[in-house]
Amino acid sequence: MKNLLLSSFIAILFSACHFGHYGSLTKTATASASLKPIFGDNFNSFLFKTNITVYGKDYSGLLVTKQMSPQNYRVIFTTELGMKLFDFEFKDTAFTLHYCVPQFNKPKLLKVIQKDIETILMNDLNKKTFEYFSDSEMLYSIHKTKNGKMDNYYFVEKSSLHLQKIEHAKKRRKKTNFTLSNYQNDFPANILIQHHDIKLKIELNLLKK
Amino acid sequence: MKNILLVLFFLTTNLLSAQVPAGYKLVKDTIAFKQKMEAQSKLISTLESDFIQEKYLSVMSEKIISKGHFHFKKVNMLRWEYNDPYKYLIAINKNKMFIKDNGKVSKYDINSNKMFKSINEMMINTVQGTLLNSKDYKAKFYENDKFYLLELSPLQKGAKDFLKVIQLYINKTDYAVDKVKMIEPSDDYTSIDFSNRKTNQPIADEKFIIK
Repeated sequence: MKNLLLSSFIAILFSACHFGHYGSLTKTATASASLKPIFGDNFNSFLFKTNITVYGKDYSGLLVTKQMSPQNYRVIFTTELGMKLFDFEFKDTAFTLHYCVPQFNKPKLLKVIQKDIETILMNDLNKKTFEYFSDSEMLYSIHKTKNGKMDNYYFVEKSSLHLQKIEHAKKRRKKTNFTLSNYQNDFPANILIQHHDIKLKIELNLLKK
Repeated sequence: MKNILLVLFFLTTNLLSAQVPAGYKLVKDTIAFKQKMEAQSKLISTLESDFIQEKYLSVMSEKIISKGHFHFKKVNMLRWEYNDPYKYLIAINKNKMFIKDNGKVSKYDINSNKMFKSINEMMINTVQGTLLNSKDYKAKFYENDKFYLLELSPLQKGAKDFLKVIQLYINKTDYAVDKVKMIEPSDDYTSIDFSNRKTNQPIADEKFIIK
């Protein structure tokens, strides 16, 4: 009896680990709401009040994104006082580091921030192949695609057609959550990027576009 | 030989004139100017002013504009506050520094951090116009009818990485700093224009303690 309890406990634990957060999703043949890049094809610049919290250190400032040409974005982070902290360029799948202060010039940290920004720019969306899912409450159209060894799940709310969250997961375990909320004219005014495996949080609050 | 000398003459005069900003000439008596600045600075016990900050980034089509207000009180107390389009506040009170962001207050010991120490020195000396006395910068002095223009180039390697030159525009009527422009090695810049300046009005010490 004891063994049976133990084995069923292990079985439950195992299946919970295996299916994790995504076990309840149902595969669908097509997407019930389409996935569009949030920055779209408009050549405006977007200005965000931004906080980056990394291992207890808080960097606050202003983040500007600007689309230079199709699939080419420049992303610059400065302090409120105007001092430039980093300057990134994303062109198709290529990345250029134009400038970076020593505090950010750590290869691992830079790579993570670069990947996070790439995820919200959604530059390579049209080159990806997707699988589609529905949640148990049928609220979202979920688009799943491979991102290196990881998976990205995009949750598009069916009622509003807004992308509400992106989950970056490895073997069905959430590594990073992107929450997009407070939509204004079809653009999320608040973007929160929360990492679960490292102590990193990025908050973007739209000032103007 | 004569030709070579002539060419050299034109080259050097061109180089020299290229260094002087358009519409300005070199200040002849820099010692007198420094003494006047120092004397004016001694007359100030408190100072407050509105400011408009413009951040120019060559890749962006428009400048990032932020507006705010600052208070300064001798010795070493500064409240630098952005109100539009976001709220952000830095206060310096002797050897303490406060930052208020998103309603959250962080308090730092200025001496514990090299960066805070240099921010403190730069901000206090900029609003007072006493940056020209700093050993960390090489100063050049220019003038036109309305302004003295001070160009300060950082001498320390760390500062040179992110700052090419600081330009201070000093009004000839009252020796007040009207505009500061910080130019980066890439020629991107931050400029701050001051207006509605009030001097020697009483400011309570509480203004420089953030809770």
